[in-house]
Amino acid sequence: MIASPARRAPGPGRLAIQFGVAFALAMLAMGVIVFLVAEERIAQRIDDALQVHVTKFLRPVATGPATDADVIARIQEWQRRKMLSERTYLFYDAAGRLVAGRLDLAAPQPGYSDVTFMGGGKKPQKGRALATRRPDGSLFVVVQHSEAAASLRALLPSVVAAIFVSALLVGLAATILFARLTARRLAETQAAADAIAQGDLTRRIPSDRLDGMFAVQAESLNRMLDRMEDMVNAQRQFSSHLAHDLRTPLTRLRGLLTAETAEADRVRLLERAERECASIITIFDALLRLAEIETGRHPSAVRDLPLRDMLEDIAETMEPVIADAGCALELGRLEPVRVRGDADLFNQMIVNLLENVVTHTPAGTRATLSLEQAGESALIAIDDDGPGLAEGERDRVLLPFERGKGSGLRRGSGLGLAITRAIVRFHQGSLELADNAPGLKVRIRLPALPEAVPAA
Amino acid sequence: MRVLVVEDDAVIADHITACLGTLGYRPERVASGEDALAAIERQRFSGMVLDRLLPGISGIEVLARLRAERRLPPVVMLSALGTVKDRIEGLAAGADDYLAKPFDMDELVARLNAVTRRAAPTPPSDTGLAVGRLKLDPSSHSVLFLDRTIELNRKQFSLLAHLMRCADRLVTRGMLLESVWGYAFTPTTNIVESNMSRLRARLEELGCDPIDTLRGSGYVLRSERCR
Repeated sequence: MIASPARRAPGPGRLAIQFGVAFALAMLAMGVIVFLVAEERIAQRIDDALQVHVTKFLRPVATGPATDADVIARIQEWQRRKMLSERTYLFYDAAGRLVAGRLDLAAPQPGYSDVTFMGGGKKPQKGRALATRRPDGSLFVVVQHSEAAASLRALLPSVVAAIFVSALLVGLAATILFARLTARRLAETQAAADAIAQGDLTRRIPSDRLDGMFAVQAESLNRMLDRMEDMVNAQRQFSSHLAHDLRTPLTRLRGLLTAETAEADRVRLLERAERECASIITIFDALLRLAEIETGRHPSAVRDLPLRDMLEDIAETMEPVIADAGCALELGRLEPVRVRGDADLFNQMIVNLLENVVTHTPAGTRATLSLEQAGESALIAIDDDGPGLAEGERDRVLLPFERGKGSGLRRGSGLGLAITRAIVRFHQGSLELADNAPGLKVRIRLPALPEAVPAA
Repeated sequence: MRVLVVEDDAVIADHITACLGTLGYRPERVASGEDALAAIERQRFSGMVLDRLLPGISGIEVLARLRAERRLPPVVMLSALGTVKDRIEGLAAGADDYLAKPFDMDELVARLNAVTRRAAPTPPSDTGLAVGRLKLDPSSHSVLFLDRTIELNRKQFSLLAHLMRCADRLVTRGMLLESVWGYAFTPTTNIVESNMSRLRARLEELGCDPIDTLRGSGYVLRSERCR
């Protein structure tokens, strides 16, 4: 056997890169969402702070609501204390003129608004304003410079890049690690598959060192291998039986053709030679038929079959054949049962079984054919009082080329029961051979059609 | 009767033409579908034995072309492909009968005979199914000869009816299994022989057994013995 070439250990492959990129993209999306949420929160806090300052500056004095002069005084007081602040207070009179506060800004609309102003007289700055209209028409405005939000935005590209790169690296590393661990577990499977490919059908995947889904998968593969080994063995046995069954008539044929024969015996010899040819042809015909049925290539005209009529017809045909062999065929109870099936295959199935009575039982055997509805099945029974089959033989004779021990005559193709079983399987039925004490009991169950409803 | 034999295997073709020649046919032999079409172009044939697997165009293709040209003679198709499906394909393509290899020459001759007669301009009269003084009554499954009547079972009745329809012609076991029983499989027991012997025993009771057994090939119902 040729040793298999050492396999290159598979690299992380495209899967790892795809997985890493997908992971990185997911992390990126998450980063963007976090950023958007954070910005929203900051904006909300700025608005809240503006409201607090409005309330604080417009608070009533001891004598009643704060007048314009009170508010202006408060602004100027604050300006004296704070030279640098991120907040600015402005006061406009009813005509919209700026009366207090140090910011070059046209009076904004009442309520929250985003404003742009010249900070330090040179560079335009953005800010958030809350304007409150007072009863006398004057306007009080608090402006918050949006430096925090701006700096947060400035951070965005670098944060995003950092997240993307680190997520990509982590994703790749995790995938490569995962692939390595998986590959180590799959190596056992691969080794077993290679051995089987080399012809060692008994090889199985050792599942004791595996865990989780790998163990489950290994067991499932091993079950499949068990089944395949059985099938391959059956096939090998089939081929060797076939070879044997063909050699026998071929050997006899060659013997006949090479024998020194007197002129007068020539005709008889040729007739015998033709019989040997016929038995070889019989085997091939049966093989073709079996293959045709088993592989479903039989052109099937599936329809409702009236089994009672069909069995009566077959009994009429087979009765003389069975009688000529010195046996007898009786009809038992025949109930009117119908099944879905192929008429030609059904005929062959029953004819095959009755031919077995002719071929494999001694003269004097009585066989009974009956049909009944048993639950949801049509039960066809062929019982005889012949020699029957020993316990162990009943399953064996259903296999191709397997014959009962008693049938030393070796008549027929050896495929009759295999074909019968294939036909039963085609009809989704079951075939059972049992002891009739004495004799053989053959039971075929086919799914019956519901009884026809009588026309109203 | 001119018969075209289309077969590329020289041994089989020799065998068929020699056999047909001794039986009074005038066989012409070609080895490919193209030659077969050319031969039919040249002259009329009363029948054709056509192999399915040929070099060049296949037997099925030959059938299709001749059918399209309305020049298809009665055909017995030969084939190593012997499954029921192959047979149905051959018949659907226009063959009148289909014989799987290996076959018996008697079988081929009987089938060729049957298909060429079937295509003859005056078909044998089937009215009332009577041959000479032997008459069938399908309503009671009975057979009449002179003043005597006996009843037959269904199988014996259809067997006799088929032989009477093919009176004076060889009918093989295979043909009977196909047309009387409708079986597409080959039984391993002597179904035809056993039923035939029952039928002949019944006919002897009637005083008229016109059936001859041709050993190894089949049966002939002789019309002159029904008088």
